[in-house]
Amino acid sequence: MKPGSLGRYIVVRLLLAIPMVLILLTLVFLLLRAIPGDPVTATLGGRATPAQIEAAREAMGLNDPLIVQYLEYMGGALTGDFGTPVTDPRGVVEIVAETAPATIELALAGMLVAVTVGILVGGLAGRLRDTPFDIGGRLFGIIIFAAPVFWTGLLAQLFFAVKLGWLPSSGRAGGFDQPEWITGFYVLDSLLTWDMAALESTLEHLILPAVTLGLLVGGIFIRLVRVNMMQTLRSDYVEAARARGLRERNVLYRYGFKTALIPIVTIMGLQFALLLGNAVLTERTFNWPGLAQALVDFIGQRDYAAVQGIVTFIALVIVGVSLLIDIITGLVDPRVRY
Amino acid sequence: MSTENVDAVGPVRNDPTPGEQKTGVRARLSHAWRPFRRASRVSRVLIFSGLGIVVLFLLMAFVGPLLYEYGGTQYRVEVAPGEFEPIKALQPPSGEHPLGTTRDQFDVLARIIDGASLAFAVMALAVSIAMIAGVTLGLLSGYRGGPIDRALVTMMDAVYAFPALVLAIITAFALSAIMSPGVVPAAAAVGVVYIPQYFRVVRNHTLSVKQEPFVEAARSMGAKERTVLGRYVFFNVVQTVPVILTLNAADSILVLASLGFLGYGVPPPTAEWGYDISRAITDVPAGIWWTALWPGLAIVILVTALTLVGEGLNDVINPLLRSRGKTGPKIEPAPREDTPAEDHTAGAATGAAGSAPQAARPSVAVRGLRVGYRTPDGPLWAVDDVSFDIHPGESLGLVGESGCGKSSLGRALMRLMPPGGVVRGRVEVAGEDMVGLSESRLRRKRGEDLGLVFQEPMTRLNPLLKISDHFIEMIRTHQPDVSKAEALERARVALSQMGIPPTRVESYPHEFSGGMRQRAMIALSIALEPKVIVADEPTTSLDVIVESQILDLFGRLRSEQQIGLLLVTHNLGLVAETCDRVAVMYAGKIVEIGPVEEIFNDPKHPYTRGLLASTISLETTELHSIEGYPPNLTDPPPGCRFAPRCPYVMDHCTDAVPRLTETNPGQHTACYLYPGAGAPVPEGVRAPEGNPQETGV
Repeated sequence: MKPGSLGRYIVVRLLLAIPMVLILLTLVFLLLRAIPGDPVTATLGGRATPAQIEAAREAMGLNDPLIVQYLEYMGGALTGDFGTPVTDPRGVVEIVAETAPATIELALAGMLVAVTVGILVGGLAGRLRDTPFDIGGRLFGIIIFAAPVFWTGLLAQLFFAVKLGWLPSSGRAGGFDQPEWITGFYVLDSLLTWDMAALESTLEHLILPAVTLGLLVGGIFIRLVRVNMMQTLRSDYVEAARARGLRERNVLYRYGFKTALIPIVTIMGLQFALLLGNAVLTERTFNWPGLAQALVDFIGQRDYAAVQGIVTFIALVIVGVSLLIDIITGLVDPRVRY
Repeated sequence: MSTENVDAVGPVRNDPTPGEQKTGVRARLSHAWRPFRRASRVSRVLIFSGLGIVVLFLLMAFVGPLLYEYGGTQYRVEVAPGEFEPIKALQPPSGEHPLGTTRDQFDVLARIIDGASLAFAVMALAVSIAMIAGVTLGLLSGYRGGPIDRALVTMMDAVYAFPALVLAIITAFALSAIMSPGVVPAAAAVGVVYIPQYFRVVRNHTLSVKQEPFVEAARSMGAKERTVLGRYVFFNVVQTVPVILTLNAADSILVLASLGFLGYGVPPPTAEWGYDISRAITDVPAGIWWTALWPGLAIVILVTALTLVGEGLNDVINPLLRSRGKTGPKIEPAPREDTPAEDHTAGAATGAAGSAPQAARPSVAVRGLRVGYRTPDGPLWAVDDVSFDIHPGESLGLVGESGCGKSSLGRALMRLMPPGGVVRGRVEVAGEDMVGLSESRLRRKRGEDLGLVFQEPMTRLNPLLKISDHFIEMIRTHQPDVSKAEALERARVALSQMGIPPTRVESYPHEFSGGMRQRAMIALSIALEPKVIVADEPTTSLDVIVESQILDLFGRLRSEQQIGLLLVTHNLGLVAETCDRVAVMYAGKIVEIGPVEEIFNDPKHPYTRGLLASTISLETTELHSIEGYPPNLTDPPPGCRFAPRCPYVMDHCTDAVPRLTETNPGQHTACYLYPGAGAPVPEGVRAPEGNPQETGV
């Protein structure tokens, strides 16, 4: 493929993602295996007999040398075998397949809110610098970021669900309005089966958690978009564009906004980790049956195998998202292609 | 987040200002205070209001338990010795319990007070853990380099990429296998999250300092390398760490609360804000608001306060990112003086000027132009009452020292001003006054009648658009009926005229060399055949061969298409080579204007003489220069602005501004050495004559 082409860029990025995967997986292994303490005793608790413990150790491969355990773990993770929980008959893959769609649906909806708020408010604040709108937007960004997401979630519940009764306060859909399980994405499933009652119920349930999560991340985006928009509008090519007599709308959009978006997209990718972290809290607050809830539950049950499997999956998702962001950047910005 | 910016500061070395040599603690204090004094009022207000709130919370945490009657884990009241009465659960706020009670029969205010001391303890511990680990590893990594460095860097990148909260949960989980839950493991779990930030700052500074020449020098003078490195790294890191530290402190409260909310923080019944909110989840459906609201509010206020301190500190320490305050007073929009075209200066400028065809109407007629800016030191007129003409096919050179207003003048012709800039006077381009024009009409004239070529070709094209897109966009904006294919064809022709192969039209700007970009910019500026091109130092950043190509190009455009040229430059050689006439600017005013041959052979104004003498001539190897510096334009000197530096200065020079008056055919000079400038020339005063490069000033 010729240098500078998009195809070549994507291939190179895919190759570069491989070491990242290896490093993250190693980190997960180190965190959960190489520290002192015994996962088996922790999992089975004090009631297990020495024989039971020994059997469990043998079954989990904990009696092998660390390097063997590491290679087995890496091999498993790379071939899609994330292990089997002690406290749950399902495999980790199954658990992920059942809970991840809920988390992804919430994260995507939250991201949508965040991007909309961030770009609209941040872009305007960047143009209307030092006006009350700008100052208000920045203040909102600071305060919303200082508020724990579970607290804003509870206040939103209290107001919109309990006091006004407009929206349901928890869960993914009403008991009788659950869509038929096809992909696990309720919005998609209710559209696929054309089940309008389910769609309405799903969207109603999605609004509060998505807005809660989205506003938090949106606060960061506001700041980010504002600063980048300001810098771009001061840039040399914007002045040159004005000197050529281009329409102001065109100058703002093609020269200001579009070029400002590149660093924004990159940093938005970095914020995905923040979004995931806060999804854990949002799921707990709104009793949202997602992956993060499952992770927290397994931690509560001290199930090492399940925790390790889910965290490994999360690590893979992070690499996937950063890859996706890089590809988007490559699509928009010809300069980064190799 | 703002901590990202901190890395960009780089090594900072403070040189002591002479004359301010105090010693001891006072000197240190005043030195530390200096950046605060220079900081904007906004950042000072931010820091101190934030600090005030933090101090209130500290007071609450440490004095509160002594004053308030309930304890955080107290669920009953001793009514008589040995006789207890339970506190009622879920009481709304009242005189007895100002913020209400929880379902666990605790007083909410007491929980908040106790939660504050826990938050401060965890915060201090977590940040210390992160800082000690991060700084140690960063020093190790930067100092040792090699495989250790690479391993640590990848490791830290991985930690940084991981969701902070998930990392904290897993650390808490892992720690629970070796120690019982409590304040220390909770703080360690929170602290792990921030290690990469300190690591990165310290490692980068250690690396950059290691390569600094002064470390080399110190080493060669026998100083211990570690001592030298340690000291410099310390002083540089000290500049950035306070900001990271404060912002981490703010964040650590959120992470601790999140851990508590999920049940992996400090175990109950210890008062912790996040845990208390998690207990309130079941209260909410019953409409009970006080158990959730108050602890959360405590978090928001304390975190906001700490963030304000961090942001304010960042503004102070890192002034490049400081927000621009509206510091300068507004320039009063003075009524536009309708300077008639027959005005004396105009008449002087238009006069029989070199090769310019006498009768033709000028392409550009500037009358009484003033360009003003607001600055932190007050308003100033960067261009002050300037008049000149440019005729079709004529080229006018505009020369002067940096800061004399020549670039502002070039931009003002297009009314291309930064926010806060104002243009007054008249700029007639093809018969229309740019100053009074509506935005839409002005936009049409930019590009159609006036083309602007900038100094920096590298950054003037949109990096996301192909060269062809720039042409198509511009042509079709001004001439909507031109088809895309036609515009593309015109782009090809325009490029090949500039010596760029038409096949390159589909390239992106970053695929062009600097010279090619500048030629593409020029092609773009003349795509609509404007009447005049304003070229601001068009060749400064280019090599000599490209420079001569571009000058040839301008010559061709002038002779073939009768395009006028305003060449803004400090390079007198360039003017001599390219221009018909030249205008010399000093401190916002034109002090001399006329045909190039006249001015170069017989400059009249002492400033022009000094300027010409400053350029090294082939005959004399000596380099003359003008004593002193250009005046501060926020407070210009009275009368002739060159008077303070002028070797010929006379008493009345500072009385009034001298007028431009004809000193040679077509040459006009604003100087009292010559009759007609507004005051009689005193007897015995002899004006300098001849070429200053031969005679000296």
